[in-house]
Amino acid sequence: MNAKLIKRNLKKEINGWWIISLVGAVVILLPILFIFSSIFLEPNENWLHIRQYLLTNYVANTIILVVLTGLFTAFLGVTLAWLIAAYDFPLKRFFRWGLILPLSIPTFIAAYTYRTMLGYTGVVQTTLRNHFDYQMNPEWLTVSGIHGAVFIFTLFLFPYVYMITRAFLESQSTSYIESARLLGRKPLAVFYKVVLPLSRPAIVGGSVLVIYEVLGDYGVTSYLGIHTISTAIFQTWFGMYDVNSAMKLAAWLMVIIVGIFFLERLLRQRRRYHLSNKSRPLVPVKLKGMAGVAAFMYCGVVFLLGFLIPFIQLIAWAKMTFHKVWDSTFFTLLYQTVYVAVISTLIILILSVIVANVCRSHSSFSFIISKCVTSGYSIPGPIIAIGVLAIFISLDEWLAPMYFSMGLGEAPLILSLSLVMLIVGYFIRFMATGFNATEVGFEKVGTKYMEASRMLGMGVTKTFFKVDLPLIKGSLISGFILTFVEICKELPLSLLLRPFNFETLATKTYQYANDEQIHEASISSLLIILISILSVIIFQILGKRVKQ
Amino acid sequence: MSIVKIKGLTFSFSRKEEPVINDFSFSMQKGEIVGILGQSGSGKSTLLRLISGLEMPMKGTIIIAGTTVVSESVFIHPEERGVGMVFQDYALFPHMTVKDNILFGLTRLPRKERKSRVDEMLELVQMEEFYKRYPHELSGGQQQRIALARALAPKPNVLLMDEPFSNLDADLKESIRDDLGVILKKANMTCIMVTHDRHDVEAICDYSITLGQSNVSNGLNRVKLKTIN
Repeated sequence: MNAKLIKRNLKKEINGWWIISLVGAVVILLPILFIFSSIFLEPNENWLHIRQYLLTNYVANTIILVVLTGLFTAFLGVTLAWLIAAYDFPLKRFFRWGLILPLSIPTFIAAYTYRTMLGYTGVVQTTLRNHFDYQMNPEWLTVSGIHGAVFIFTLFLFPYVYMITRAFLESQSTSYIESARLLGRKPLAVFYKVVLPLSRPAIVGGSVLVIYEVLGDYGVTSYLGIHTISTAIFQTWFGMYDVNSAMKLAAWLMVIIVGIFFLERLLRQRRRYHLSNKSRPLVPVKLKGMAGVAAFMYCGVVFLLGFLIPFIQLIAWAKMTFHKVWDSTFFTLLYQTVYVAVISTLIILILSVIVANVCRSHSSFSFIISKCVTSGYSIPGPIIAIGVLAIFISLDEWLAPMYFSMGLGEAPLILSLSLVMLIVGYFIRFMATGFNATEVGFEKVGTKYMEASRMLGMGVTKTFFKVDLPLIKGSLISGFILTFVEICKELPLSLLLRPFNFETLATKTYQYANDEQIHEASISSLLIILISILSVIIFQILGKRVKQ
Repeated sequence: MSIVKIKGLTFSFSRKEEPVINDFSFSMQKGEIVGILGQSGSGKSTLLRLISGLEMPMKGTIIIAGTTVVSESVFIHPEERGVGMVFQDYALFPHMTVKDNILFGLTRLPRKERKSRVDEMLELVQMEEFYKRYPHELSGGQQQRIALARALAPKPNVLLMDEPFSNLDADLKESIRDDLGVILKKANMTCIMVTHDRHDVEAICDYSITLGQSNVSNGLNRVKLKTIN
């Protein structure tokens, strides 16, 4: 292609929307590239110490956690998805929805709730001692170490696998399952020979989400005293103030993530999973007698353990501490959480709209941009946090002469102690949530109204405000709520990037729990859970709309 | 003077694929109505999208009313080409009334003239009493008339129509087709209409062009159907 043609083609594409999208993508990619660049930094003493004595342990713990949680969540998620999709039994319609609810309890809240509830002074052991005169070995029920973390992660993250696999089984697998049944195979054989192999992409998709959560976790692992790469990143920063070593650890974590990504691709090579184009809903088989009761019990136990029991326990604790916690400082906390979440969400949504509008052209540029802006969601919070922190510290160093001329001192930390840093962190991490909701809105509307408007003489911007915006506002509202909720729940980024003395609901809850003020943590925990339930409901409504 | 002039137009959806339109040349005079025929995938709709600026050609030049709108070094955006379009499914803005839909393209007219232009257009398509309705409150034929009124309102140099009758049932189609021919002639509009139905072309058009495998390489097969008055 000659220079003239390139210039002409660029003229068609380039406008203010395009340039803002490019800047947004660069802001998102920059911390990630910064992390990778740290691999080439000269190692310091701290890093040599970490590498020699600690890194093997961190990597081993991280891998053990990922593998065990991955296996258990896959088992729980797939078996429940299969039961709900293929069978009818008492309360199945309730469980279909209710089994998503464990996702509304952030894992670090679940960890401290279970640890306290099952501990020596918790409700279980106290009841056994006082009412049944049974003294149990406290070790049996202690939620700690790797087995405790796997228990918590499995119970509260399995809905990722459950949701994706159930959606697949309900809509895509009908003809294969019916064929297998007609060929005389028993239910167990249908499950092993047909359902499991066919659902592999869905199972892997869900498990990868679980793995990302586990890799990025700080709350559960630090509370239960497990050393992983994520907790080490925090310790290196908070304990040693050594951002370079923290970045090197983050780069190691990135290597694991890239490894998982390629492993999944490699395993999937040359296999096909979708041969049938027709999608028909699967007709559930009614389970009678004991089989029905067993299915009900299985779903019921998971629902009780994964949602109802910890939820009721938190309500009980909240009643005990309500008068103590519910005061003006709590309202300041609420205000700060809402304030930072609203600002971040608005920035995310505005940029989502701009990028998603550019991506409607389906050019290779727009494809790359969309991949860049959504990349933050698959990168654990601690990595983003340390990347953003490193960039802001560098920015402050770079701007030091300007600060000095403004009379702010010789080398002050202005940007890296401000709320801007936290907002940038949220922006990178949750851009995908806002972008995906906006993109769904644009996809539903299509391009015909936009094209009609442009043919009637309106430019891209006027077309957006007069035509697209009124038509996609439903999706934007859903995107706003989903992103807002995610930000309210977020822990690792908030802990690392918040300014001094700035608390959110999540950081305060974590702080209470860490100070062993478990009962006091319950009100903020309940608030986070209620906000999360709202997001689950929105998710359901969005899902229904997409189906329609 | 030709109102639309196309020289050596070539387009393919990707560089690896064979061109859908290959070295296509064509010109038409003011007031002519030209029908574009061809099988599915022959590039009929793509040709309209290239003229309107919604797609970018690999090669070739398009000149509309004496202005080069696309060439090797020029690209004029769709909103600046002075081209009107009636889409296959009309694309009437669902959140606007009939009146607002027609007003939409009149921002360049002084405010006072806008209202009279809307009335004029509603009268032209005989839909005066429907101005307050929303698109979903209209029948298919009525929607088509409003789409036509909306496209004609800004007085485009050329009107492009993409399968304008494909969403109408057979009985309705015939009467609307006749009406459309009358309206276009009354407005002295230059029009390119894409259709897969030869009867549409015979009823309305002065010329027809058939796009297809046999003629994509050497341009077109131009058939004169009527003598232009």
